[in-house]
Amino acid sequence: MKPMSLVGAAGYLPETIVENGFFEAEGAARGTGMFKGSKTRHHVAKGETATDMIERAATRLATKLGLSLPKDVDILLANVTCLDMPFTGVGASAAKRLGIKSPFVIDVHNSGCVSFVYMMAIARGLMASTGAKTALVCNVQNAAGRVFRHEDNRKRAQSAVPGDGCGVGYLVANDECPVRSIVTHCYPDYADDMRVLSDDGHSWWEPRSTALHIDFTEERVASIVSRGNTLVPNVVKEACAAAEIKTRDIGTLVTNQPSHIFLRNWREALELPKEAHVESFEEHGNLFGAALPINIERALASGRVTKGSHLVLGGFSHAGDYAASAVVHWQPG
Amino acid sequence: MPTTTVDINSIPNVRRIENFPKDEMQAHAMELTHSVYPHEEIYGSYCTLEEYIDCPPEDVFRYLADVYTLEEWTYSLRDFEATETPGEVVSFDKIGGKTRIYSKAVAHEGPMTVDFHCAWDQGDKLWMIYLMRVVPAELVLNKRGSVVLWTNCRHPYYDKNPYPEKGPADRKVWVGDMWPFFYAGHHVEMQNLKHILEYRHANGLPINPREVRA
Repeated sequence: MKPMSLVGAAGYLPETIVENGFFEAEGAARGTGMFKGSKTRHHVAKGETATDMIERAATRLATKLGLSLPKDVDILLANVTCLDMPFTGVGASAAKRLGIKSPFVIDVHNSGCVSFVYMMAIARGLMASTGAKTALVCNVQNAAGRVFRHEDNRKRAQSAVPGDGCGVGYLVANDECPVRSIVTHCYPDYADDMRVLSDDGHSWWEPRSTALHIDFTEERVASIVSRGNTLVPNVVKEACAAAEIKTRDIGTLVTNQPSHIFLRNWREALELPKEAHVESFEEHGNLFGAALPINIERALASGRVTKGSHLVLGGFSHAGDYAASAVVHWQPG
Repeated sequence: MPTTTVDINSIPNVRRIENFPKDEMQAHAMELTHSVYPHEEIYGSYCTLEEYIDCPPEDVFRYLADVYTLEEWTYSLRDFEATETPGEVVSFDKIGGKTRIYSKAVAHEGPMTVDFHCAWDQGDKLWMIYLMRVVPAELVLNKRGSVVLWTNCRHPYYDKNPYPEKGPADRKVWVGDMWPFFYAGHHVEMQNLKHILEYRHANGLPINPREVRA
């Protein structure tokens, strides 16, 4: 397969910062239990669109990498937690805003928290089978301000965990920072374990009197936790094996960040020191799919991703319906 | 003076639904649930293992309760003889060269527990205790056969031999030096037990050949 490189990432975080005390659930306010480790998170402003967020992050990325987005993007891939418009998706709207005229503008609605890696796999496939040479991969998480901030939801224990943000990454068909392996899995058995519900019993498309919220059925919480504990270390090990490196050769690990407990458990399972795992749960909460590109930018800025080291990405989505991992051999010229 | 009506919910570290709500319990459970556990944390102070054996529980119990069958399923206990103390036997633990090991089985038929009280080098204080229990698999796994539970506790003598003068003078190894391998060693012995008994049961052979001889 033609080589593909991940050459950079940039993030955007909405202006509004929300502290634990905003939430009414006991525990959230005190930052204990499941909320342990989270202090702040960002919330999108009313009226701020997913397209706005992509524009902000992509503009930062273009400045960093010296790109002209209209010329330098052959593929635009986007995953958005809470779409601006049902039916249409965000892709075309983002392309319009960024002046991108590519035949490959794709909304990737599945694979949520690990969709960055999933989109890398899609970009690599497109590059291999078409003349496309560059890809802009966009992740928007905007459910914190749009859904979890709602007054019906503020009392829910789950509402303090999400935080909003947008992250974008740039892929190029060359061997500058080659992606040595990408492994993706879909586990259909786990597809229906996370649901978006309204207390009045209506579906999201029906007129409703109560806010939407996420439901991980109580009887499945323990099994979802145990799934998450194993899915991520396993897929990371698989990607390392495919890249012919040992897990102890992971220089920097970047994952999605559902909770401090998953972060701890993944590190322990991979026997990595805390500093090798770059995350931002304390400040940003659960960034869903945007965690990967936002934390990649953080890792690159920290200087710990040294020349020739391996940057390993991994995560799982929803209640375990997708898991993916990729190994990037960092070789800045 | 303590009253009989002390509120147990006020005792430190007691967590009950009355003083520790379900949300907190769930968060606590997540905190305690790791993806992997260091060997030392799991097997450092206690060593427990368990196995399914496709052999009737009464047969497994009777087999274990006969202390002489240790000669078959243990890795290194050999050449058993009776001692002057009724029920207590002596054999060689070949893992310790010419080490003598004293053993007795304390069995209770109702709960099907078999505790092996043992010690290297002397038979006066049998401090190495192997706690085993046979559970009917019918009850716990809804299938025929047995589940065997086995626990050892890290008695302080494992860390320091209290009777160094009683062992062979040239012996360098002490039984407690092998504590980090207890899980591995006991796993091998549990597999021996499983495979010997399953083979005999599946082939209609006597479970304990000593009973036939007797």
